[in-house]
Amino acid sequence: MKSAWVVMRRELGSFFVSPLAYVVLTAWLVWNGVVFWVLTEFYARNAVASGAASPLSAFFGGSSLFFIPLLVFVPVLTMRLIAGERQAGTIEPLMTAPVPDGAIIIGKYGASIAMWCVLWLPTVIYAWIMSQHGTVDWGATTASYFGIFVLGAYFMAIGLLMSAIAPTQIIAAVLSFVALGLLFTVGIGEFVFDGAARDFCAYISMWGHMQSFSKGVVDTRYLVFDLSVAVLAVGLSVGVLKARRHG
Amino acid sequence: MLTGYLAPTSGEVHIDGIDAVRNSIEARARLGYMPEGVPLYREMRVYEYLRHRAALKGVDRVADAVDRSLESAGVTDARRRIIGQLSKGYRQRVGLAESLLADPPILILDEPTSGLDPNQVRQFRELVRGFAGDKTVLLSTHILSEVEAVCDRVIIIREGEKVADLAPEESKTSLEDIFAELTASQSTGDAS
Repeated sequence: MKSAWVVMRRELGSFFVSPLAYVVLTAWLVWNGVVFWVLTEFYARNAVASGAASPLSAFFGGSSLFFIPLLVFVPVLTMRLIAGERQAGTIEPLMTAPVPDGAIIIGKYGASIAMWCVLWLPTVIYAWIMSQHGTVDWGATTASYFGIFVLGAYFMAIGLLMSAIAPTQIIAAVLSFVALGLLFTVGIGEFVFDGAARDFCAYISMWGHMQSFSKGVVDTRYLVFDLSVAVLAVGLSVGVLKARRHG
Repeated sequence: MLTGYLAPTSGEVHIDGIDAVRNSIEARARLGYMPEGVPLYREMRVYEYLRHRAALKGVDRVADAVDRSLESAGVTDARRRIIGQLSKGYRQRVGLAESLLADPPILILDEPTSGLDPNQVRQFRELVRGFAGDKTVLLSTHILSEVEAVCDRVIIIREGEKVADLAPEESKTSLEDIFAELTASQSTGDAS
């Protein structure tokens, strides 16, 4: 476990000295700032709006504006994890160090989760702004952040797996984008199909997921789904790393 | 394969008496490895990189190990510099310092002098010769003059088969002639 921590520390250190980190963070905050402003404006003008109950719950997954940037930012954050090392050749010293493959993957995964948290941390200020001008349901906000954290655990694991599979960072980013985009689209089937297909789509729906959390409902079905996907993808990443040793 | 980077399809690998397939991590802990081209994290400073690697290798006294290996690889003066800004020769030496961190009994150096200027090559050879009697150094290279200058024992591998195992000092003919003869039909060969 100590070696996983060493891997994680280096990954974060390298990320936060790279220009990529600041480009991503800036772009992310500009995007979300605009989204938050538009949503607040919308609710201010239309007192009785359908769907989400408040600008904050709309911000946390109540609109597609929440998901579109994620489909882009997650691949950019995770593409370097393994594929970057492979491209730079540094994977060789890493994999010949006396460290289990599992520790390498867990370190990388931990780093990606930390990046995810750094991404979301500044958005707390939006909740604070709202609390200055009205009432904020802190329970629902906490549930939203919890939902975002679990969603991140699942997104980052998929990005990590794609980065383990792909030979280069660009391919890793494209694969993650396709995988997340596909999961997102299948989830929308919730509003399209009936019967069993509808239930299936609803189960993996990111939309339903965040809508439930943003209202303060912690639905264990989503929790179980996210965490099982995360565990599966992280486990598969270890398998991919092991398989690479066999050519 | 010796370093555990690739798994063998058949056969066994023993490092210092340890089965490197079954106890890969234990075997890797006894090796210092400098891969061809010396891949390093370019954004890190030399001492940061060495500290990171020492921690990864589970070295007990990280600061001491870093100082010692910087010293023996002759890069103490570059310890605060960013790796990406170093010359090839310096990077090569940082790679060597890295392989020395855990004070391993065995060093594997893959093409350690490629891309170095003649002075750097000479320094590097002296450094490696300095390990004689203390460590086993496995040098993989295509530069035969280097082999003659540094090695006590030479193994030539052709298409995965060992075709020669000799001591260059004892042989009358030059290594180059032996090599040419052994690889006459095929031009692929590797001298270790």
